[in-house]
Amino acid sequence: MRFMILVKANKDTEAGTMPEEKLIAAMADYHEQLVKAGALLDASGLQPSSKGWRIKYSGGKRSVIDGPFTEAKELVAGYTTIQVKSREEAIEWSKRFPNPIGEGAEAEIEIRQLFELEDFGPSEAIERFRDMGVATKK
Amino acid sequence: MRFMMIVKASKDSEAGVLPSEKQLAEMGKYNEELVKAGMLLAGEGLQASSKGARVRYSGAKRTVIDGPFTETKELIAGFWLIQAKSKEEAIEWAKRVPFEDGEVEIRQVFELEDFGPSEAVEHHARLREQITKTSAKPKP
Repeated sequence: MRFMILVKANKDTEAGTMPEEKLIAAMADYHEQLVKAGALLDASGLQPSSKGWRIKYSGGKRSVIDGPFTEAKELVAGYTTIQVKSREEAIEWSKRFPNPIGEGAEAEIEIRQLFELEDFGPSEAIERFRDMGVATKK
Repeated sequence: MRFMMIVKASKDSEAGVLPSEKQLAEMGKYNEELVKAGMLLAGEGLQASSKGARVRYSGAKRTVIDGPFTETKELIAGFWLIQAKSKEEAIEWAKRVPFEDGEVEIRQVFELEDFGPSEAVEHHARLREQITKTSAKPKP
């Protein structure tokens, strides 16, 4: 089973403030433990929404809306995807995730299960996804 | 440059309604074009938040809160991770996403070079090398 650990944006991430060396080190330690357990699939940080944009689809029309976007709670600042044997194992790993703001601060992360191709009924389209190696276990 | 194209949750995605065969076919075609262009790094769908959880940090305490979570606009339902040569190229590809309505948010991903050089950043670089080696990346 694959899970995604999501870190939401806050004032600092949106201001482009880089994490302190101590937090970067704690993140490196945590991700190293994931690598050793064979559980790490990917991890990345997202640049502030001021460098991003949204595309709004309406019928055949598409409009581009440039960032920044104001609702920090609706924005993602980073993620870690993991492969584990059970939801319980995912919860255990998530509890060990370093506080993304810094130890002692109030913060929250969100854990979501990823769809596997087997979750969809068999179809030609799903077979094409499989051939492309999209949404498949690594 | 890497970009993440984020699809927000909707009533349907939160209810666990799977995309129709037609939507899957259109999405498959779009993904194939990304693969042919050598741009697709990942494409994933997230299960409804009812199957997810949140971990809340307060001081040294960690509390697990089980989903579902109600604020659909704060939830994501899926994403693509693409490699593009420029912001303009990423915009062009985002405009081709086969959606009839709704919104996709595009965000640039940090590269390790964006951080100042430090021991911790070096550590991350070594880890990235390790996961790249161990994960069997799909061959475009």
